[in-house]
Amino acid sequence: MGDNYQNKTMAPVMMDYDFKLKTQTERSKVEDLFDFEGCKVGRGTYGHVYKARRKDGSDTKDYALKQIEGTGLSMSACREIALLRELKHSNVINLIRVFLSHTDRKVWLLFDYAEHDLWHIIKFHRAAKASKKSVMVPKGMVKSLLYQILDGIHYLHSNWVLHRDLKPANILVMGEGPERGRVKIADMGFARLFNAPLKPLADLDPVVVTFWYRAPELLLGARHYTKAIDIWAIGCIFAELLTSEPIFHCRQEDIKTSNPYHHDQLDRIFNVMGFPQEKDWEDIRKMPEHATLVKDFKRSNYQNCSLSKYMDRHKIKPDSKAFSLLQRLLLMDPNRRITSEQAMQDPYFTEDPLPTQDVFAGCPIPYPKREFLTDDDQDDKSDSKARQNQQQQQQQQQQQQNNTQQNQVQANSHDHVANNAKRMRMTGPNQGNNTGGGGQQEFHQQQQMMFGGQQQGASNQQQGNFQQRF
Amino acid sequence: MAGNFWQSSHHQQWILDKQDLIRDRQYDLAILSEEEYQKIFNFFASIIQVLGEQLKLRQQVIATATVYFKRFYARNSLKCIDPLLLAPTCVFLASKVEEFGVISNSRLITTCQTVIKNKFSYAYGQQEFPYRTNHILECEFYLLENLDCCLIVYQPYRPLLLFVQDIGQDDQLLTYAWRIVNDSLRTDVSLLYPPYQIAIASLHIACVMLGKESHKPWFAELNVDMDKIQEIVRSIINLYEMWKSYDEKKEIQALLAKMPKPKPAPQR
Repeated sequence: MGDNYQNKTMAPVMMDYDFKLKTQTERSKVEDLFDFEGCKVGRGTYGHVYKARRKDGSDTKDYALKQIEGTGLSMSACREIALLRELKHSNVINLIRVFLSHTDRKVWLLFDYAEHDLWHIIKFHRAAKASKKSVMVPKGMVKSLLYQILDGIHYLHSNWVLHRDLKPANILVMGEGPERGRVKIADMGFARLFNAPLKPLADLDPVVVTFWYRAPELLLGARHYTKAIDIWAIGCIFAELLTSEPIFHCRQEDIKTSNPYHHDQLDRIFNVMGFPQEKDWEDIRKMPEHATLVKDFKRSNYQNCSLSKYMDRHKIKPDSKAFSLLQRLLLMDPNRRITSEQAMQDPYFTEDPLPTQDVFAGCPIPYPKREFLTDDDQDDKSDSKARQNQQQQQQQQQQQQNNTQQNQVQANSHDHVANNAKRMRMTGPNQGNNTGGGGQQEFHQQQQMMFGGQQQGASNQQQGNFQQRF
Repeated sequence: MAGNFWQSSHHQQWILDKQDLIRDRQYDLAILSEEEYQKIFNFFASIIQVLGEQLKLRQQVIATATVYFKRFYARNSLKCIDPLLLAPTCVFLASKVEEFGVISNSRLITTCQTVIKNKFSYAYGQQEFPYRTNHILECEFYLLENLDCCLIVYQPYRPLLLFVQDIGQDDQLLTYAWRIVNDSLRTDVSLLYPPYQIAIASLHIACVMLGKESHKPWFAELNVDMDKIQEIVRSIINLYEMWKSYDEKKEIQALLAKMPKPKPAPQR
């Protein structure tokens, strides 16, 4: 007759007072150990990220402190902690420590600080291109980046972990320091174990991958995530590194739709890749949304589209090793898409220049450091508004320039939607033109023009290991 | 993380030494005998099992919750947190990690209330489940801290499936061995041995129970430390021996009364 349970009205003591006191004394608080006030460098649906330094000066390294959105242990916080606690690979972000703040129930994750990411790097190149400046980067940088991305993903996949949300913003690159120029795959919040799905994956979170990097089978209603879905995203990132343009750029509207089928995104993919032939993707007929596909799309609209033509317009020759690897990564049929292991064996990586551990190959890093964000949301918004205005202005200027020579330039194809999964709806004046222009929503014409001038001007500076774009 | 047990936190941090385990339990073992201690853990493992079943969780998730529970008390006395609170907290956390969709707070509490009332009244009498969501959430932080954020637990079920396949598919054998793995959760073996060894030991017991002599060569060819397997077998057999002469329904109230309990803040 437990004395604790005898009396119906009296709740038992849940926790021992001495135990509580002892753990309180032993527990270190994040704000006692780290300086990070006013040093916010990221804000997104996942929470806030701060650049931090140790207060005791035991080292002078920079750290990244991520305060997880919301309070307590959400399912994605649990998954993130569970997975990161186990993962150890030089190309996967390293979780150093977890802080649990009992008073406000906040969860903090401590990582090594990565100064750069592919979203900012690509953005920098686009801006340089738009203002006809050149960026000096090592010739093999794209190759080194891709190799390390594949290496990290191969590690994840061989540990039965899927990333599921690969996009440039999630590919970090280390700045100056002992790990200079090393890729770190991050934002595993949605990653899950997949070797024995306890529940069909599509039941859990209906929409996880940013549309632009989303594999066609997902857009056609595939119910299970696979390694091949990550590989498609890597193919998209590779193409974007080669051209500085998101290869499957598409106007984005309602992000939180529970319906995976997305007409415009599929249209964009077909506009680049061509409409899939039956023989190229036999199982396409088994896709849940196949009927919708047949109803909505006409093969004849995509007769003249192919990846080789698209890349050729972006100065990537169809007979290059880079193109041949890209084609193997971006196969429409997920069963035929190569694995990360096969990709790492591709001749592209044995051809000169060889990939380097430091993707900057010892050359100066041309990209700016992360800027601190001001603390409240309003500033965040005005920041994005400013960006928006700037882009609109740019677009207008470009249009004026281009109108005489070119078709209309599509607005907002130029903005990478806001970083950090916080996807903005862009309201450029020419939004409606997205589907115009003969279906090819590309900027190669304009880009060629810019490059034409730029390349000549810069060609003298090009020496040795450098080239001026990816 | 099925790929890499050897580099896992489970292998590196949570395969404990038997002597350490006994030493860390000294406080509780000064009050309870080893057998009483085991009976109490048996009881709470049953609560976790029934809760998990009521919540329609897979056995894998239930097993993980049970291991969390055992890991917490491997480092702490039973008095630190009331096990009646920690048990559902483990189920809640394991379900989030193993991703069986979220269990809503209210559903968890309601299930606890019904389970305690309907299935464990022999232990708690008319006493209702006394905790609410805020208690579980507070407890969860303590649990995560004490687990040192090691949430991925390897279970013997997957290696067991592979071994049975290797022996030559035998559904009866699998069913028996699977149940023995479930029973092994009532012992300390999940704290002391890697899951593949527990799988082999369970398979071994199942073969003996079913008189499957023909599988002997399969065990002989295994490249494992048979002493370890024998230790696991002994732990599980001891459990079965204990069960023979144990009536939980009669003894548990006295055991729960004797169990070390949390002390409140000193009164001034």
